[in-house]
Amino acid sequence: MSKRLSVTLLTAPAMILLLGVFIIPMLMMLLLSFQDENQAFSLHNYLLFVQDPYYLEVLWRTIRVSLWTVLASLLLGFPVAMYMAQATGKMRGIVTMLILAPHLISVVIRNFGWVVVLGEKGWINETLISLGLIDQPLRLLYNELGIVIGLTDSFIAYMVLAIATSLYAIDPSLNKAASILGASRVRTFFSVTLPLCLPGIIAGTTLVFSLSMSAFVTPALMGGTSVKVMPVIAYEQIMATLNWPLGAALAFLLLGSTILLVTLYTKLIETKRYKEVFAS
Amino acid sequence: MKKINVLGLITFFVLVLVNLPFLVIIPSSFTAAGYLGFPPEGFSWQWYEMILDRPEFIDSLWFSLKLATVTAILATLIGTLAAFALSKYKFRGSGIINALMLSPLTVPSLIIGISALLFFTRIGIAGTFTGLLLAHMLISIPYVVRLVLTGLSSFDYTLEKAGYMLGAHPFRVFWDITLPLLRPAIVSGMIFSFLTSFDNVTVSLFLVAPDTTTLPLAIFTYMQETLDPLVASISSVVILLSLVFIVLLEKVYGLERLFGLNSQSH
Repeated sequence: MSKRLSVTLLTAPAMILLLGVFIIPMLMMLLLSFQDENQAFSLHNYLLFVQDPYYLEVLWRTIRVSLWTVLASLLLGFPVAMYMAQATGKMRGIVTMLILAPHLISVVIRNFGWVVVLGEKGWINETLISLGLIDQPLRLLYNELGIVIGLTDSFIAYMVLAIATSLYAIDPSLNKAASILGASRVRTFFSVTLPLCLPGIIAGTTLVFSLSMSAFVTPALMGGTSVKVMPVIAYEQIMATLNWPLGAALAFLLLGSTILLVTLYTKLIETKRYKEVFAS
Repeated sequence: MKKINVLGLITFFVLVLVNLPFLVIIPSSFTAAGYLGFPPEGFSWQWYEMILDRPEFIDSLWFSLKLATVTAILATLIGTLAAFALSKYKFRGSGIINALMLSPLTVPSLIIGISALLFFTRIGIAGTFTGLLLAHMLISIPYVVRLVLTGLSSFDYTLEKAGYMLGAHPFRVFWDITLPLLRPAIVSGMIFSFLTSFDNVTVSLFLVAPDTTTLPLAIFTYMQETLDPLVASISSVVILLSLVFIVLLEKVYGLERLFGLNSQSH
């Protein structure tokens, strides 16, 4: 059998699936997003978005919630990654298993667990009330806080893994060299460890940010009906209002702004790095 | 040593947090009370017996299992073939094909769901098993391709050559040499596809019909209306089932390796 024939036959099923279920549908969706009520080509849906403060507020909320999620998962995830890098084989394995395994179980079920913990009659509120610390239940759910808690739980594993991978790669003799040269632990951390694991931090933060921006299930279940994010209103336009062109446009606007923000962020960090290079 | 203790403490706290949902769901499913609460009151199996009275959950469980099984088999087959072509032959455009195969991972599920709904409505398979199957295969194949490619990158082709030189038929070589060596990668691709399909919500959301609902979606819909211990008992069943596959995955491949690959491809 010729090489070309073999390649074609082997890749054909996957390529047909990709074309039929992914590429053609995406192009159709893109075209649809430029359709107005009369099915004519127009920027109508995109203009609607820019002109309506409601949509801009939803986009801003989506970004805000995602940024908080990035911050929370960085602050909580970094120490875990450090611990994993310092731990020995067996302990590292246990921590890895315990942080990754929940990630493979349905997000709906994880969110449900959080509802049991955070709800008005949930574990935290009941405990605090019975201890006499509060007399009104705290509102921990169905607001932005609830979404951030749910998203952090969903995506922290990506942050930990990205940072841990870059920490594993650091040559331990560098730390030794720093301490021999008289650097304190804090100094070593800021001059050696942090710069060397910066790629991991960038990877982790951009990944968690992108995932948070497009998350649907958690904001729908833990944000409630009044606190909506972009994926939720896009879903509503498609499935409830049946305004497919607008729903498609909202989804692309979300994707576009995510890509834009991630690009700006990485550019910003890179130029900062170059500045350091030029200064020294 | 003090620094390690602080790190250990935070790590312990985070590990409790990410596992907290399961630590509360399983006990609260055994509550004797008629409402949802933690800690649970008393002990009873009543909410598990309740599941039997809810055909929509039983039906959707079978539907999800069927869908995940067929997805896993087909996605593994198709993905493995493609990975073989990409690894074995150097050809023009292989870089593009490789990038294309992995691209469904980089596009948000929301967009995959909406676009599949648009196209499937046009060709008349929206809300059918076939439609869901195709979409689930699409999101599983990147993982299979990636896993098998990783397996093939360290594959020693001289072993195949030795087989040929000893006069074995190509199929015999494939069956007795190639396949056994790649088994861990292929099997974990299959398990991961199963889990991806079984737990998926965002893509399925757009493609299900009332009589073809997956279990996570049935729970999602139920949760938006009512919150009672029934959700806890059904969730516990799903947790248990998923755990079986996660342990399998850890045994066959190792979760850390699997996720190292997962996060790179996003």
